[in-house]
Amino acid sequence: MYRIIEHTADIGIEAYGKNIEEAFENTAKGMFSIITNNGKIERKIERKIEIAREEDDEMLLVDWLSELIYLHDVEKLVFGDFKVKINDKLVATAYGEKYDREKHGYGIEIKGVAYHMLEIKRNKKGFVIKVLFDI
Amino acid sequence: MWNGPLNKIDDYRYEIPKSYKGIDGKLSMRVPGMIYALPEMLPSIRKDNAPEQTANVATLPGIVGRSLAMPDIHWGYGFPIGGVAATEYEEGVISPGGVGFDINCGVRLVRTNIKFEQINKSIIKELTDELFKNIPSGVGSEAKVKLNRSQLDEVLQMGAKWAVEHGYGWEEDLEYLEENGCMREADASAVSDKAKERGMSQVGSLGAGNHFLEIQKVEEIFDENAAKVYGIEKNQIVVMIHTGSRGCGHQICTDYLHVLEQAVKKYKIDLPDRQLACAPLKSREGEQYFKGMACAANFAWANRQMIVHWIRQSFEKIFKGDAENMGMKIVYDVCHNIAKIEEHEIDGKRMKVCVHRKGATRSFGPDSSEIPAKYRSTGQPVLIPGDMGSESYLLKGTKKAEEAFGSTCHGAGRAMSREEAKRRWRGQEIARMLEEKGIYAHPASMIVMAEESPDAYKDVSMVVNATHGAGLSLKVARMVPLGVVKG
Repeated sequence: MYRIIEHTADIGIEAYGKNIEEAFENTAKGMFSIITNNGKIERKIERKIEIAREEDDEMLLVDWLSELIYLHDVEKLVFGDFKVKINDKLVATAYGEKYDREKHGYGIEIKGVAYHMLEIKRNKKGFVIKVLFDI
Repeated sequence: MWNGPLNKIDDYRYEIPKSYKGIDGKLSMRVPGMIYALPEMLPSIRKDNAPEQTANVATLPGIVGRSLAMPDIHWGYGFPIGGVAATEYEEGVISPGGVGFDINCGVRLVRTNIKFEQINKSIIKELTDELFKNIPSGVGSEAKVKLNRSQLDEVLQMGAKWAVEHGYGWEEDLEYLEENGCMREADASAVSDKAKERGMSQVGSLGAGNHFLEIQKVEEIFDENAAKVYGIEKNQIVVMIHTGSRGCGHQICTDYLHVLEQAVKKYKIDLPDRQLACAPLKSREGEQYFKGMACAANFAWANRQMIVHWIRQSFEKIFKGDAENMGMKIVYDVCHNIAKIEEHEIDGKRMKVCVHRKGATRSFGPDSSEIPAKYRSTGQPVLIPGDMGSESYLLKGTKKAEEAFGSTCHGAGRAMSREEAKRRWRGQEIARMLEEKGIYAHPASMIVMAEESPDAYKDVSMVVNATHGAGLSLKVARMVPLGVVKG
């Protein structure tokens, strides 16, 4: 689950998860809903992603989302489903397909993931992530 | 709502006192802050937290003079958009947050000999559609030319010169670009493989969001002499380009935010906001970032150069003439997201500093050796893009701007979020409204039309009047759009 948060010139995601992995997955889903204007993304292609553990989870989250932006930009892929495991490193599979303006809709080009106001919080239900994008 | 102190210095200048964040604390301001604005702009400036960001920037190690904000200040990441800060070369820091993700996002203006009377609506439509076809735009847009790794390295090292040498434009174009379209500090070995991969397929593309191409008409001249020097006159047709370093620059920023995030701990720098991550200019991390940033800047100049070439080709096709005969020279090219090593007079002393301009434009005045010889008696042209339906400005740089390290404003800035704009308007309504004003728009999608609605932006004329009043840049001409290509 996630929702889009908006400032005047900016856009971001508030995502939830039972554990931090699920929260990471939902943040990525939210990000692609911004890129595609909420188009439905099928599971046709998968990409394995590995990221070294960082000093803190915030940096790991920025690395995770930045990696997906990179894949989107270079391979013109969009992803709708994710499986994330975090142990001594982050290991994930992203499922999606080639981006198609007609099919997926025309969203917003994301330039980067901001550290500004970035938050990963634990509550009784699990984890809440707040992250903003530079657009 | 920001309720901190803004002490009025004069009608255009408001100071945040150095004591605002306490004295002698780890996160105290090292210099005062200053916001340039008209009094009527202050409520909207206080509305978001941007003045706090101006104060935060004043805590950076080595900052000198003042932490500045231009009248188009709005809330950014770490630095406010519209922020200008100079840090001492030997002891100060450099911060990617003071440049932004879109390194060397900038504006270029191309003149023509064509007068408004010589064209009509159908020609504008044809020309706009031709530009849309010739210049890739929109989310995920790919260039027509795909470079290999070694070609991209050349682009990163050489900037606009690479494009000219490969047939995109004229030799004389280079003279009319800030830095002649190349920062010599660039070193392609400071750029990651990822950034290069993103660059290889994107040099020569417009991108999305607020980036645009506009066919404009010179509507009003404020300064006849300066306009003449710049080759501009009333009712003339000109073309404005607003774009930056695309995915290549975004990736370079992303990569170095990561590096500098760690450098903050290594060099034990205390920061009020994580996004202000920085490193000493003289550290390995700082030097590497600067070299990489310069590569992105060069990429952007090559990008705009290739776009100019396709603009000239489009005009040649539609008017069945020759671009040279049509007088399609570059008036100037400015960057408004950049850090530069410059010399300025600060507190009565000549100093070598790193000037961060995040949503701010260089505005060097007459006699400056950095500007083209032809403009040296006038000052450099300053290009201020408005939003889709309104107007853009051509200004001239001043000696007075030296108080702001030779800087002025960069544009209008959003007043309303994209979602809010989409709730209020439909793209078709905006297209119709523009058409009534005589503007033909060819957007990548109708959603973009609603998001980029003129009323979703602040009034650019207020911003320009504030810098004119403060003397940071003076009005030369006002342009209105006739045809718009929107990514």
